[in-house]
Amino acid sequence: MSGVRLTRRALIAGAGTTALAAPGLAQSLVGQLVDLGLPDGPSLRPTTPAFPGKGEMIVQRVNAPVLETPMSVFREGLITPNDRFFVRWNWPMPTAVKAGAHRVAVGGAVRQAVSLTLDEIAAAGEHVSIVAINQCAGNGRGLSEPRVTGTQWGNGAMGCAKWTGVRLRDVLAKAGIAAGATRVRFAGLDVPLVDGAPQFIKSIPLDIAMRDDVLVAWGMNDEPLPILHGFPLRIVVPGWFSTYWVKMLSTIEVLTGEDDSYYVAKSYRVPAAPVTPEDKDFPTIPITAMPPRAFITSHADGAVVAKGQPLTLEGIAFGGDCALERVDLVGEGWEMPCTLGPDEHGPYAFRRWSVTLPPLAGDLSQIGVRARNVQGAVQPDRLAWNPSGYARNVIERITLRAQ
Amino acid sequence: MRHALVLVALMLLAACERAPEVTFADAAITLPDDPTELPDLPGRDAVIANCTACHSPSTMLQQPAIPRARWESIIGKMTEVYKAPIDQSAVPEIVDYLLAAQAARPPERSAPDVAPTS
Ligand code: HEC
Repeated sequence: MSGVRLTRRALIAGAGTTALAAPGLAQSLVGQLVDLGLPDGPSLRPTTPAFPGKGEMIVQRVNAPVLETPMSVFREGLITPNDRFFVRWNWPMPTAVKAGAHRVAVGGAVRQAVSLTLDEIAAAGEHVSIVAINQCAGNGRGLSEPRVTGTQWGNGAMGCAKWTGVRLRDVLAKAGIAAGATRVRFAGLDVPLVDGAPQFIKSIPLDIAMRDDVLVAWGMNDEPLPILHGFPLRIVVPGWFSTYWVKMLSTIEVLTGEDDSYYVAKSYRVPAAPVTPEDKDFPTIPITAMPPRAFITSHADGAVVAKGQPLTLEGIAFGGDCALERVDLVGEGWEMPCTLGPDEHGPYAFRRWSVTLPPLAGDLSQIGVRARNVQGAVQPDRLAWNPSGYARNVIERITLRAQ
Repeated sequence: MRHALVLVALMLLAACERAPEVTFADAAITLPDDPTELPDLPGRDAVIANCTACHSPSTMLQQPAIPRARWESIIGKMTEVYKAPIDQSAVPEIVDYLLAAQAARPPERSAPDVAPTS
């Protein structure tokens, strides 16, 4: 834990600096405004290239950084470049990390607690790479109806990258898992500066931790993890929401019981059964594996298309915690299958789809694409509303005007 | 079907025969200053003093329109869960400010996110 504690006065002092610095810098930081299409707003967000190592990003928040990927990026390729990848920190993040001094403590229910250098982590086992989507549990939260509070994301809190590292189980083997182990918990260097506040620590069940493709990663698209993405190491759990992909990894703790820490026991949870906005005090379960999703990237809502001409729509889709099986274009009372692009990057990656419609007689109202994965999970027609706006995967609909 | 897919997945875990060298260099960045301005309304100072240390004002300003009770419960969560040292006597003023800022939002122009690239 950090020895730094923030007193009320220090908090106020920090705030004062921000407020005084703001007016003059507004113009220089803000590029253009994008509309995330959030019902009843506020929906406009500035974009900026001002974050280190980042290109033009949608600014949800400067401190702690929360940056969204513009949807247009997903049209350009199946791999999201590091400089366009979404960024999300819950608490103010460290902005400097000394590689030589960094250690990963492996402890808890282990035979021999160890503290590993980065070189020791890199030598812990075979180096593996996997392409996988990293998606925030709250991606698309701002589109919830009725609206819910929290980070007001559009659908750009996701990205697909090639992650390189060693298997988590090889790192765990350095300490040896003791009898009775149930879960493996991760903590990073991002610690709250107020006493008693919950640290952003997360755990996964032991069987997930032992998977062949769950990594302690240092590489993102063949580059060292940028600091905004968790340098020097982050956990990679293909198919599971980003909340488990702990950044700036500094502690691995093997647990013997349930995890009662805040971000597992109280937060990042979804209703165990469907709820309505009026429901209170219902049972919840942790959000874990991702459901399938698909997006039209070739056309925006309200775009004008040529009447009397065939129309080709394109986009991306993914299966979630298993491979994508199919994508269908759905309208009001009709549907047609889309053609999937080649399986370029494996089951946990984005995949292209496209479909060509016969010459258009009129507007295409409320069309969307519906992904289905190989386990039979299909995107629903209606939002599975939940009070935290997690795991959105309702079919996203747009209307195209034929002229 | 399922088995074939699992196999493909494993093959894609491109394992190298001999681990390539990985070198770790120190990393440091400087974050940009925060451009979000809090609208000039009564209670602004109380919001700056109590609500902007852990997160930018955009965390408050970007929320959808919510009623007084919801703001009060969010501030309660800041105090109880996140241990924010909030001056409790300032809470009504902060809530008044947040509601006024919400009501004073300018109408928004539209520029869709998926704009044609060129
Ligand atoms: C001690 C640090 C701290 C202080 C001070 C603080 N907050 Fe927060 N606040 C947080 C954290 C942590 C989150 C969750 C951040 C995240 O999800 O990225 C949060 C989230 C929020 C959210 C998002 C909505 C939600 O339900 O998560 C709102 C709105 C908010 N804070 C308002 C306030 C207001 C108003 C004040 C002042 C009265 C305040 N905060 C002071 C730490 C703080």
